Amino acid sequence: MTDTVEDEMEMATVRHRPEALELLEAQSKFTKKELQILYRGFKNECPSGVVNEETFKEIYSQFFPQGDSTTYAHFLFNAFDTDHNGSVSFEDFVMGLSILLRGTVQEKLNWAFNLYDINKDGYITKEEMLDIMKAIYDMMGKCTYPVLKEDTPRQHVETFFQKMDKNKDGVVTIDEFIESCQKDENIMRSMQLFENVI
Amino acid sequence: MAAGVAAWLPFARAAAIGWMPVANCPMPLAPTEKNKRQDELIILNVSGRRFQTWRTTLERYPDTLLGSTEKEFFFNEDTKEYFFDRDPEVFRCILNFYRTGKLHYPRYECISAYDEELAFYGILPEIIGDCCYEEYKDRKRENAERLMDDNDSENNQEGSMPSLSFRQTMWRAFENPHTSTLALVFYYVTGFFIAVSVITNVVETVPCGTVPGNKELPCGERYAVAFFCLDTACVMIFTVEYLLRLFAAPSRYRFIRSVMSIIDVVAIMPYYIGLVMTNNEDVSGAFVTLRVFRVFRIFKFSRHSQGLRILGYTLKSCASELGFLLFSLTMAIIIFATVMFYAEKGSSASKFTSIPASFWYTIVTMTTLGSSLGLQKGVMGAPSLLPFNEQMVGDTQHRTGRYLTLSAFPSL
Repeated sequence: MTDTVEDEMEMATVRHRPEALELLEAQSKFTKKELQILYRGFKNECPSGVVNEETFKEIYSQFFPQGDSTTYAHFLFNAFDTDHNGSVSFEDFVMGLSILLRGTVQEKLNWAFNLYDINKDGYITKEEMLDIMKAIYDMMGKCTYPVLKEDTPRQHVETFFQKMDKNKDGVVTIDEFIESCQKDENIMRSMQLFENVI
Repeated sequence: MAAGVAAWLPFARAAAIGWMPVANCPMPLAPTEKNKRQDELIILNVSGRRFQTWRTTLERYPDTLLGSTEKEFFFNEDTKEYFFDRDPEVFRCILNFYRTGKLHYPRYECISAYDEELAFYGILPEIIGDCCYEEYKDRKRENAERLMDDNDSENNQEGSMPSLSFRQTMWRAFENPHTSTLALVFYYVTGFFIAVSVITNVVETVPCGTVPGNKELPCGERYAVAFFCLDTACVMIFTVEYLLRLFAAPSRYRFIRSVMSIIDVVAIMPYYIGLVMTNNEDVSGAFVTLRVFRVFRIFKFSRHSQGLRILGYTLKSCASELGFLLFSLTMAIIIFATVMFYAEKGSSASKFTSIPASFWYTIVTMTTLGSSLGLQKGVMGAPSLLPFNEQMVGDTQHRTGRYLTLSAFPSL
């Protein structure tokens, strides 16, 4: 009995200290100042040093108040949480952001593929894509122009698969994905815009 | 929470990677922040105590003094710091609000000083966090009440009352006898006459002396004229008083409906009805009953006695508990009366001829009064009422009776 109580108390007061500033600077592509700013914001929201899924969803819902962003936040959380332990530490956070904001196009596309591949088996199936699509549409909410119909996500998934699935086997692999994206001009242009976000 | 979330903006923008590959058109440019400065420390000097914080921390709330350009008015060029000639203790709470997003109210602080500081820094008190909001509201209410009380007592001491109309002065005199000597006199006179009226009611029935024929006569009939004169005098006074009160009342309709005025009316009605009615044999019985209502004059004393009024309020506020007591007693009476009736039905000499007839016995027994009326004769009757049996009136029963009564008034 006493063991479980102590365990619970330990879990409640978990404190995570990130790696040294220099180490993080070497591992990521941020400067020291940028890391300082990022950490101050991170620690403010999560004094214990780790983000759990609930906090993640709350923070995200404040940026997208019109729709329901919880499903998308869930997928994002799983993508950030690389070691799948249920919490995102500052290192995970920084590594993820480093790829998204300062990485090469290849790395970014890789990260996006990882996001879409919900069960992390190396293939994007139509069901996974449908889930992701529905999550994105939920997040946008009802205030869209033009107004969305019920089966818009499904149609969108069909379009996506037509573009990406080269060998028409019903799944999209990482190579098919990267190849198709690199051929698409719109996507390439969008990728460049991530540079000056921070 | 909204304060620090701004720091997560890069993350929110980065998350757009999710829908870029599926979007049909390219992503628009992110809005660039104009005048983007590197974050710098600013020094806030409050009466000598220096606080330091990041500029962006203060800019989280741009509609307050510290978050807007209003603080530039307090910038000291020589020392390159912002100087405020205010209380540093309260400033600590204010700065914590910027840092954490929650405004707290320190208990040791005076409520009006705190309010002044909040007003100076342009912060609305409504955003005080839940943890401190109750305390803040309570203190504020106490303060407001205290101020109101002070104002009232000041007004009373001033003495220069706004001139009231004759009607209003009369009403004040009736309600509060201490306002003027005349009111006090009136108060004592009515009190005296109420006492006289009650005493005459009582003395009327005392037998005093006999007449030839060996018949005892009550004083009321022997000195009928004297008593009649006394009664008339009292009723005159009461009528005059009632009419004067009716005239002076600010809201006549409300006055007529009030309990005290109903008591007044009931106290004087029997006399007038007696005047109007003739000495008819048929109605004289009813007339005698009406005279009983003269005893209500004793309730007029409640205007004179605050204790009596308090008793009245107490009964009124315990009305639900009293009602419940009455209801449960009624239930028990009906149950036991029915049992008694059917138990004693076999016996021919039973006094319980019907269920209502057994009510009286049940009531008398349950209230532990006990009476010799209707002792049970039948075999079954005795055991059924054994707990209440008068032969067993003992400590337990007394205690149970009293306990039942007292437990109905838990709030007293």
